[in-house]
Amino acid sequence: MPRHGGSGARGRAACAAACAALAWAAPPATAQDGAALYEAGCASCHGADGTGASPDRIAFDDPLPDFRECSFASREPDADWIAVAHAGGPVRGFSETMPAFGEAFDGAQLQAIMDHIRTFCDDPAWPAGELNLPRPLVTEKAYPEDEAVWTTTVRTESPAAVVHETVYEKRFGPRSQIEVKLPFGFAEAPTGELGPGGEPQTDWGAGLGDVTVGIKHAVAHDDRSIFSLGTEVVLPTGDADRGLGADAVRVEPFAAFGHVLPADAFLHLQGGVELSTDTGAAEHEAFWRGVIGKTFTSGEFGRAWSPMVEILGSMELEGDADPSWDLVPQMQVTLNTRQHVMLNFGVRVPVTNTDARATELMIYLLWDWFDGGLFDGW
Amino acid sequence: MAGERRRPSAGGSTPLAAGVALAVTGSGLLGIVWAGARDARDGAVLSGRVTLAAGGRVTFPGTPPAGEPIDMSADPYCRERHDEPVIDRPVRVDGDGGLADVLVHVRSAPSGAEAPDAQALLDQVGCMYTPAAVAVRVDETLVIRNSDETLHNVRVTPSANRGFNLGQPIEGMESRRSFGRPEIGIPVRCDIHGWMHSTIHVLDHGFFAITGTDGSFSLPELPAGEYEVEAWHRSLGTTSRTVTVTAGEPIEIAFELGG
Repeated sequence: MPRHGGSGARGRAACAAACAALAWAAPPATAQDGAALYEAGCASCHGADGTGASPDRIAFDDPLPDFRECSFASREPDADWIAVAHAGGPVRGFSETMPAFGEAFDGAQLQAIMDHIRTFCDDPAWPAGELNLPRPLVTEKAYPEDEAVWTTTVRTESPAAVVHETVYEKRFGPRSQIEVKLPFGFAEAPTGELGPGGEPQTDWGAGLGDVTVGIKHAVAHDDRSIFSLGTEVVLPTGDADRGLGADAVRVEPFAAFGHVLPADAFLHLQGGVELSTDTGAAEHEAFWRGVIGKTFTSGEFGRAWSPMVEILGSMELEGDADPSWDLVPQMQVTLNTRQHVMLNFGVRVPVTNTDARATELMIYLLWDWFDGGLFDGW
Repeated sequence: MAGERRRPSAGGSTPLAAGVALAVTGSGLLGIVWAGARDARDGAVLSGRVTLAAGGRVTFPGTPPAGEPIDMSADPYCRERHDEPVIDRPVRVDGDGGLADVLVHVRSAPSGAEAPDAQALLDQVGCMYTPAAVAVRVDETLVIRNSDETLHNVRVTPSANRGFNLGQPIEGMESRRSFGRPEIGIPVRCDIHGWMHSTIHVLDHGFFAITGTDGSFSLPELPAGEYEVEAWHRSLGTTSRTVTVTAGEPIEIAFELGG
């Protein structure tokens, strides 16, 4: 590698100047400094070209990532990389072999190094990890993901229900994602009989919900925004009598938008329609959703808390039905050190049509499986 | 020896005591230090107990392992720092059998005074740790310096204390750490230069020393009493002696390790 040859000497000489000037000094680090600082602090192990040093150059066996591989290098935000560089691998549940450079480089220098690392992936088709915003309970994100999500919705008012939904999302290519949703649950349903006082009787039963398959593609993005189009197809696999499905195939084309706001705040927007193959079983419907939230971090690199509020609107496209509005205040929190396992809990509160719709408690457990096993990084 | 550390090996010695300790260290013998003795410079009589400055030597019987040349070709900077090949010697023995880098410490020692306001130093020079073993007291500052113009990481993996792994890419940079619990034999290594190893010892008293290149050591003054003194080496293990410190009587402790 160059570090061990002629260019390595040049890099060291460049760092001698850059490091001496910047090690504990004030001037903001530049991109040129970033290359020199990377050469001084990172290239010994990660390679001057970002591919990782060959095993005969280092004294440890941990596999080194390839910074040129965009699928790996693009999906996490700068903040996570800088946390690891500053405090070492364990701060995000990674290998203890990764040292802490927080006493060698200040924040501006680490950012300059990060900017240099970003140059190793030279395919602009990959959206930056900064656009991977916290996932709301209901609204679809624009960012393509590799995730598994278990969501439980509890409706306590009659007819009560406890519905679980397992979502598996798989990213392919720089911008696309497929997903499968598998709902199942327990629901209360009328028996058709009357009780001693003449009140309708109900019983509880378990069943499968309507299975959904979907595809999403990010059609445009820049440093702060991402816009995607997608379609979901809902299959009538559920128990309609028990309220766990509808006896019709529905197709849901949608658009989703994500935007990074200042001060770690963020915005999601989604809009679409649900077109039914049998309007007797399920009406055509339009829906629109918006989310605003902000992420707070415990300490310098600790747990991330993201309070959000979702505003959900929907309206049947036929007839003169009024739109339904819901509010969903919620809190997402990272559970483990690696921050790839998260919990979100909230309450879906109907604002209109409150007689026909009940308040629901919602909670999800999210596992970003690309970042490691469910039990890794705690 | 303790002289490889920044802090004095016998903190709190009177001027006379310091002079005697220096003399016996050079001769390989040991001497008695009376805290109540007359000060050599101003003639004042000092008060206190009769104490003993214990010293001695650790030797390695037989022929030490030859050691292996270190291949520093992975980092030309390191290779160019040495005119001749560096030999990796886990057991460093001088021509007279003196064993270096041995921790000699008093087990169940009196707690003594508070940790001195001084610092021990672990340096990286020519891609080698200097010293090969360093001892500090609980909560005493250990300065970790990189004197090289190449990246070192300093990976410290204790069992009773909190470990850390520092990246030190800048020549002359220093990091400071301390340890809250006593622990003997904390490994230190560089993951980039696999031949770099050192050992940190943390003790909850001040009665310890690291043997020098000739195997000699000098302990701070001990109150009269019976003590178990242990010698610890990273590769050769431990051995111990029970000694009785009597007022006014010199004492020399000889250890053999390995062989």
